[in-house]
Order: sequence, then structure tokens, then C-alpha cells
Amino acid sequence: MKERLASPEGVPAREAKRAQSAPIAAGSDVAEVALPATAIAWHEKAKGSASLAVFAVIVAFTLVGFTRSDQFYNYLTWSNILTTGSFTGIVACFEGLLMIGGGLDLSVGSAFLAGVMSGTALSYHGWNDFVAFGAAAGIGAGIGLVNGLIVNYGHIASFITTLGTMFAIEAIVVTLTGGQPIGPLSASFTRVGDGSIGPVPIMLLYMVGIALCAHVVLEYTTLGTQIRAIGGNREAASATGVNTQRLSTILYVLCGLFAALAGVLQASYLGAGDPTLGASLNLQAIAAAIIGGVSMYGSIGTVIGIVLGSVLLSVLTTGLILMRINPGMQDFVVGVVLIMAAGADRMRRQRMIRVSRARQIEIDEGAAT
Amino acid sequence: MDGFGTDCHATTVGFTVLTINPRGDDGTVGSGPSAPVLELRHVAKSFGHVVALRAVEMRVYSGEILALVGDNGAGKSTIVKILAGVYQPDDGEIRVRGTVVRRMNPRMAGLSGISTVFQDLGLVETLDVATNMYLGQPLTRFGIFAKRAAMYRGAAITLRDLQVRVPSVRIPVAELSGGQRQSVAVARAILVDHPIVLMDEPTAALGVRETRQVGKIIDNLKDMGKAVVIVSHDLEFVLEHADRVQAMRLGSVRGVRRRRDFNREEIVGLITGLVAGDDPSQARGDHLEVRS
Repeated sequence: MKERLASPEGVPAREAKRAQSAPIAAGSDVAEVALPATAIAWHEKAKGSASLAVFAVIVAFTLVGFTRSDQFYNYLTWSNILTTGSFTGIVACFEGLLMIGGGLDLSVGSAFLAGVMSGTALSYHGWNDFVAFGAAAGIGAGIGLVNGLIVNYGHIASFITTLGTMFAIEAIVVTLTGGQPIGPLSASFTRVGDGSIGPVPIMLLYMVGIALCAHVVLEYTTLGTQIRAIGGNREAASATGVNTQRLSTILYVLCGLFAALAGVLQASYLGAGDPTLGASLNLQAIAAAIIGGVSMYGSIGTVIGIVLGSVLLSVLTTGLILMRINPGMQDFVVGVVLIMAAGADRMRRQRMIRVSRARQIEIDEGAAT
Repeated sequence: MDGFGTDCHATTVGFTVLTINPRGDDGTVGSGPSAPVLELRHVAKSFGHVVALRAVEMRVYSGEILALVGDNGAGKSTIVKILAGVYQPDDGEIRVRGTVVRRMNPRMAGLSGISTVFQDLGLVETLDVATNMYLGQPLTRFGIFAKRAAMYRGAAITLRDLQVRVPSVRIPVAELSGGQRQSVAVARAILVDHPIVLMDEPTAALGVRETRQVGKIIDNLKDMGKAVVIVSHDLEFVLEHADRVQAMRLGSVRGVRRRRDFNREEIVGLITGLVAGDDPSQARGDHLEVRS
């Protein structure tokens, strides 16, 4: 039986083995059935874990870095890497959550920029920090709401909708600000994003706090399950009573809100509102999510993975500079990593199909004998 | 019959009222024991120019299995999707325990006590078995946190009671065989313990043994007093398990037969159109004018 499983149907032996490891015969006449709640072994989980793979790459790259540049021993280098990674991380968390829910937002960079400029403009004109940060977040949420409504209720593809809003918002921001930086900003405003608690950059703490919330929602609440469900099979989710349009719209709103919040935090960190900020963030946020194991087809992914993906991007870009690699080649490396991550996603899905097929063959054979 | 069987109901399907029902069933809905728990009246549905259902009537009683049979495009699955709240009917009404449900949607269907096993199974492949079974009816703590351990346990127990074997309730549905997926979909519908269960092609992906198992599950549901509607191409399966068979053709009901009147050739004839329907006007929908 093993031979047959292994060869002609094109099912590799290891999938057949995986299917066999817990022999099953759905609808068998066996009266006594074991409780099928068996836990998945940790090494099985680890094998499919994108987070672990990304973490390993970060560690490996850092180890190489130690041998190539003394800067890797410098605290400031790591403070810088983690702070940069934190901005991407905050945006990528919700971009990733949206992608897990089957959506896509290309306008996060513009929402980020809207956050930068609206927050700094208000602060510059004497409004207090609470208003500045609140208004920036509100504008981001508004942008997300527009995206969400057009995609879910106007039924226009997310790719096109958010590409459109990306251009439109950038144009509005540049027109309103005249393309000029805003600054200098009050000390109280810049204190919010700059500085550290002990040796830990405060931005990292913000990011960890926000990511933790996203993680709890995705992994421990029914809302998280619903997000994965609408990303995996929207019709099925709808048939079980999930309001798919509303939930997806909420994800767009969160995505816009936190993109703008990350923007105003970066303005606070830098001490000025720069209208060129956020340009590369659109693709970086998506890249971080995919590198961190978020599936392009939705439903699969973890917040931990997304955060590690953001950190990896930051480690790579900063690390390659420190190693004196030709700057032109940095994007090449990021591109290769991205494609490899997408390839891993595809392999994960293929494996599921192969295991299913192996199982089917086994059941057919069980029925025949 | 187990005291709940159809034989104790002196009623038959509504559209036959004026023409062939000599016992004078007046088609009214009361609250007595013989009142249908689920009823469709004059339900019509079109998709663009394609008429999927024309003035369809259907009644289901507690403790019986009603089978909808028909060729492709007969409208069987459309009926199930309307009852499950996936499609809105263009015309007609849905009654659950005599009460008209004005706007049926998936949530409303659940609240009305209807659970559904869809033909395309309605499972999220990337989610694990237990999560799929509790999708739409999660066990929660404080209303928002998922009680995963309890759901794993509950799913495992439900599957065990149904004698369904899956390697683990924690693996994604995508890794299951066709039969296992079917079993999970059926188990999900049973888990809620709703009084009305709709099953669209419950044996489509199954082998002989698995089909027998699903048949057993369906019989069990009946014994529990549930109203079961099955849509199936498998006439042998239907004749073995159903208490009544409703034959559909091109979006219309062509006839309803009780178990004691089952005649394979006649039912095939009704499905294919070789045997005239009980009410020829049904096909044109003009019986609507005849009915009061």
C-alpha cells in the first residue's frame, strides 16, 4: 500500500506518511472511535511556521553582520533598526490583518503621509498634542473608511480602489501643504515619539503594544476567527452569519487609522513633517506581511510573523549599508526575500492539497479491501 | 415510524390542494401537531433572465425527511439557499412554525432554527476542523474571546458521536479527504441542534461506506424529531431514507410522493418530464391565479 501511495498517484511518500500517521476511515463501521482531538506535535507546527523561519534569517543575518562590521555591536545601530522597523511594523500589522481578511490596501503610504502632515500642521498651529494625534488618526480612519466602503459596498477591486486613493490622497496632501515641510515642532509633540524607556526605544514599545492588541484579536477572539474566515472563504463566512462587508470595512478603517498614527509618530520622532515620507511604505508594509507569512490568498498569517517581517526588512536595509554592500543591491536582496516568502506560502498550500489527496487514496483503498 | 413520522400527518403539499388532494387539506397553517415546521409558499426566484424557481411550494414536518429530487437546474439547491438566507426570494413567503420570516438572511435562518449543509460545503479550508464546526456559533468567554479548548473538545465529541474519524480536530480542513470534509460539514449542522436541518447533496463526494454512514446520521436526526430536507441526485439513497419525495423540474414542483407510494419509475418520470406533473399549470405558474 505504501508503494502505491508513494508512486503512481504522484503523492510523495512523506505526505502519504503524514496521512497515515493517524489512520482514518471516515464513516467506518468501527463502533469505538478514539477522541480525535489529538494535539499537533510541536515539531510539526514549527515546520510550517513562517515566524520561526524569519526569526532564523534575522539571527543568521545578524551573525554574519557581526563578522563584517563593528557597527553591529553598537547600541545605536539596534535602536535605529528597531525604531525604523517599528514604524513599518505598526502599519504592516494592520495591512497584514487586512490581507488575512482577504483585502489589500496600497494606500497605507498615503494615509501615513496624511497622518504626518495633518498632525504636524495642527501642532505647528498651536493645537495641543492630543488634538494633533487624534485628528491624524481620525483622518487615517476616514481614508480607511472610504477604501472599505468602495471595495465592499461599491464592489470595486481593492487593488484598484486603494491604488486610486493612494494617488488622490497624496495629491490632496501635497496641494494643501504646498509640498513644503512643516516645522519646527513643539517639544511636547516631539517627546511623544522620540526617546526611550531605559535602553528600549519608545517607538518599539508602541509597536509591541499595538501588535500585542492585534495579536490578541486575531488569535484569541471570535472576531479573529471571522477575519480568517472571510479571508479564506467569504461566501462560507457569510453563510454562517458573519457580516462580511462590515467586518472587511472595519479592517480597512483600522489599516488607515494605524497607518496615519504611525505617520504622526514618525513626524514626532523626526521633529518635522516631511511631505516625502511614506512613499515606500505602501510596498514595504505588504512585503513585511508576506515575508512574515501572511498568505497572498488570505486567511493565513500571524501578527508575530508580520512584526518579525518588518524587523527583517529593517535589519536587511540597515545591515546591508553597514556591510558596505552596493546600495543598488539592497532592493535586490529585499526582492529575493519577498519572492522566497511568497514561494513558501505557495508550498504550504500545495502541501495541504497533497496531504488531502494521500488521505483520499487511503480511504478509497480501505473501502476497496 | 417513531410517532413523529409522516404517516401521522394528514396533510400534503400545498400546491396540490385544488387539484388532486381529495382529503380536502385546506393548506392553512395552524399551530397543531400536524402543522409544518417549515413552509415555502409561491416562492419564485430568477437570476437575470434565468428563472430558477417559479411559484414553488414546500412543506416539512418535524420528525420527517423530505427529499428534493430533480435534474440539474431543477432549482433544488436554490431552494436550500433561499431557506438558508443566502438568496432572497423574488416573490412568495417563507414560514417557520407558521410565522412568516420577512427578510431571511443567514443569521435569521440560524435564529429561526435552520442549519444548513451546503453542496459546496461552506467550509473555510484554511481553518481547522473545530473552528469550522463552530463558525457562526462560537463558544465564547465574555462574548468576545473564543473558548478554543472547549470547542476542540465539543467538536471531537460530536464527531465521535457521529462515528466520524478525522486525524485531529486541529488540522485544517484543506488536509481532509472529500468524505471527511462532508462529515465535518454535516457535523457542523448537527452541532447547533437546530430543529430544521437542510442538506444539499450530502453524499455527493462520498464512497459507499461513507454514504451509508451519512444515511445513518440522517435517520438519527429524524429520530431526534428534527425536520430534515435533503437534496440529492442519488435516488437509491433518497428512496431508502426519505419519508416524502418532492420531484422538481425546471424550477417547478412536479409532484410529491409519500414513502408508501414510492415508485422509482414514476419519480424518474417526474424528474425527466416523461410523466406529467400532478398539476400541469404548475410549470407555467398560472395556478397562482387559481389559488385564493
